[in-house]
Amino acid sequence: MEPEVVEAEMVLPTHMWFKKMQTYDKYPKGQARVRWKQLKQIIPAENYQNYPHEEPNYVNIETPPSMHPCRRICDITGYEAPYVDPRTKLRYANAEVFKMIRSLPNDYVQRYLALRNAAVVLR
Amino acid sequence: MPFISKIQRQSDYRSFPPNHPIVIDNGGSYFRIGWAGESEPRVIFRNIIQRPRHKITGETITVVGDHDPALLKYFDCTRSGPRSAFDSNVVYQFEIMEYILDFGLDRLGADQSQINHPVLITECLCNPVQSRSKMAELLFETYGVPSVAFGVDAAFSYKYNQQLGICSGDGLAICTGFNTSHVIPFLNGEPVYEACCRTNVGGYHITDYLKQLLSLKYPHHMSHLTWEKVEDLKMEHCYIAKDYASEVHLFQKGDKEAEEKTRSWQLPWTPTPVEEAPSEEEVARKAALKEKQGQRLREMAEAKRFNRINDLENEIRDLEMLLQRLRNASEHDILSILAKTVHTSQQEVESALLKATQSLRKAKGEPVENVEKLDPSSVDRYNLISIPDEMLTPEQIKQKRKQVFIKSTSEARQQKKQKQLEEEMERERQKKLEEERRLENPEQYLEELRAKHRDLSEKVEQRKRFKTNGGQTNGNDNGSGGVGRGERLNSSQRERMRLLTTAAFDRGKEEDTFGAKDEDWQLYKLMSRDNDDDDDDKPDPDEAELARVSSRLQEIDPTFFKPEVGSSSAEAPRFRPLTKEDFQIILGVERFRCPEILFNPNLIGIDQAGMDEMVGVSLRRLPPKGRGVEDRMTESILLTGGSCLFPGMRERLEGGIRMIRPSGTPIKIVRSSDPILDAWRGASAYASAMQFPQQTFTKMDYYEKGEDWLRSYRPRYTI
Repeated sequence: MEPEVVEAEMVLPTHMWFKKMQTYDKYPKGQARVRWKQLKQIIPAENYQNYPHEEPNYVNIETPPSMHPCRRICDITGYEAPYVDPRTKLRYANAEVFKMIRSLPNDYVQRYLALRNAAVVLR
Repeated sequence: MPFISKIQRQSDYRSFPPNHPIVIDNGGSYFRIGWAGESEPRVIFRNIIQRPRHKITGETITVVGDHDPALLKYFDCTRSGPRSAFDSNVVYQFEIMEYILDFGLDRLGADQSQINHPVLITECLCNPVQSRSKMAELLFETYGVPSVAFGVDAAFSYKYNQQLGICSGDGLAICTGFNTSHVIPFLNGEPVYEACCRTNVGGYHITDYLKQLLSLKYPHHMSHLTWEKVEDLKMEHCYIAKDYASEVHLFQKGDKEAEEKTRSWQLPWTPTPVEEAPSEEEVARKAALKEKQGQRLREMAEAKRFNRINDLENEIRDLEMLLQRLRNASEHDILSILAKTVHTSQQEVESALLKATQSLRKAKGEPVENVEKLDPSSVDRYNLISIPDEMLTPEQIKQKRKQVFIKSTSEARQQKKQKQLEEEMERERQKKLEEERRLENPEQYLEELRAKHRDLSEKVEQRKRFKTNGGQTNGNDNGSGGVGRGERLNSSQRERMRLLTTAAFDRGKEEDTFGAKDEDWQLYKLMSRDNDDDDDDKPDPDEAELARVSSRLQEIDPTFFKPEVGSSSAEAPRFRPLTKEDFQIILGVERFRCPEILFNPNLIGIDQAGMDEMVGVSLRRLPPKGRGVEDRMTESILLTGGSCLFPGMRERLEGGIRMIRPSGTPIKIVRSSDPILDAWRGASAYASAMQFPQQTFTKMDYYEKGEDWLRSYRPRYTI
């Protein structure tokens, strides 16, 4: 290891004196990695349906959808967008932007759509 | 504002007694750890780890937090980006969490065999019990912590500000963190969990949105748009518009105010060296060099010509001598003489001589007499044509055919020449006529010519469009030849498709008669791909006329400029040298478009209400109903969390809340004293209170009372 790296102490030591159990014992090398449950898997396992629904939990404190009409802005410029291109499904503000989106390559169109979670996802 | 990290190793760990609590604010973006009762956390670092491989030794190492990027050059980070223990605002990856705790405790100076201090650690609101129990387990089993307490960061922040007198016991905490935003109502200084609400939008989303937008806008500068840099840009330049629509309208009009609000970031740019015009002597030197080369080539050609002339002269001499000898020789000798040469007859020798003489003349540069014209035997050459076939021998018939062919081709050539000559004359005549007309009335002539040019160019344009779009001019002439997604086919392509489909699906009931007629097979020709643009090779008379007119216009009209042909205008920028402006990243609408997602999560496809509406949702969920309570709530709204630092946040929120509340509602929104560190400070004050130990639980409690108890574990914040 290079001296400046050692001096900066940026590398976490593998052995910690203050620990009762070292990481390398807990997650030995070469063994199958622990698959940590993602939030998507944690929530069903919490069995919230078994508890009274007025009891607050991680799911029911979520904010409901907005009551206001959805604000539509131009995907490219951010201006107010009265139009939608039927081909790319992008929202656009004026003819200039329209010209531009028609010349956009498909992957850019998809990336713009992905920004507002509207991209076509192929599985 | 760069990332603020404090990772100096502390040396006074041993000076704290064993029951002195350690306080950890485990936030989505930063991890802060320190001692209870102190006003500042001891150690602060980004709550991420990286596990790159050392480039030389190949061992995988763990780097916690952010470090000098220059030191990372020794490591191969291509396969491991920064990773976080969080999924949304819930800790789920406890291996990462362990590395982070290791680092934090190590930097706090821990050096005994276990952590002999109670720990207060923050967690998200309504943390799933799975995550909570894993965290407790980690602290008890791995670190040997005697007792643990969990609390919500926003609540600590509110309590801290309540103690400072910034907000009162009844009120709302609006906390916009890194991954999520919360609104938490407080009654008598205690959070009302059932009235809380959470929207899954936070600072992370804003930075990500900005990063995506900029990298889509400036694909060439992607390498400059790192997460850290974009985060800096966000903190420095983003603000919240009081009214998005009117603000964006300002930019759409593009007046001065918008210009003032636009920021630009100049990327490092070195101007390309301007090519100096070559000096005079350089030009002269080059010309001389060229001249010299030309001279040499000329000399070589001359020598070659000289050699050829010599050769030809020798050949002629030989042939003449041979001919002489042949003439003088007897019939018998001729054969023996010819046997020594390559020739077989006297005629052949004569023709070879003629050929050589002609080549010699050509080589010497003398005018070559036209063989055809000079040939006196032209009648003679075609002597067999007029004789009917019956009177000829087969040999002669063959010759006759040859003669017929030669005659017809030469005649055709003559005719063509004649025609060209006539055309030339006609053109000349027309030109003269036009010139006369021009001289007669130059103005009118020019006008006419222009009109003609306009008409013609329109016609040609239209035809081009028709060809690409099959008659439907939808104004989408993007010039891409390929048939891409949703691209309309042109008429011939459509016809081809129709033929293909009918051919593929034609299963008629009647007898298959395909191929009975020869025309049937024409179908394949129409289907083939080569059929697409078969009328392209024919020159278009309109186009030719257009070219003529425009060249004429160019001659006589100084104001006329030839429109660029086809894609040359698109290619032009490629040859343009890159300027300073090409290395600027302009932040215009993005400055307020990105933070706008806090108020309109719909913009990034999250179907939840924004911050202003969240307040309404929370008040609706509040169990004690009535204007009195709600008014008390809105009178003490505290803004906390890193994302509430945007300028304009308070004003926008006030406007938004005023809209959803009845008129006359008292609204008071205050920003917390330090939105970023208040949560830790509140927790620190909380942990140093006398009653703090009653809020903690030990390892024994944990294993005795079980998971269900842990699920309903809730500390009291007022102690």
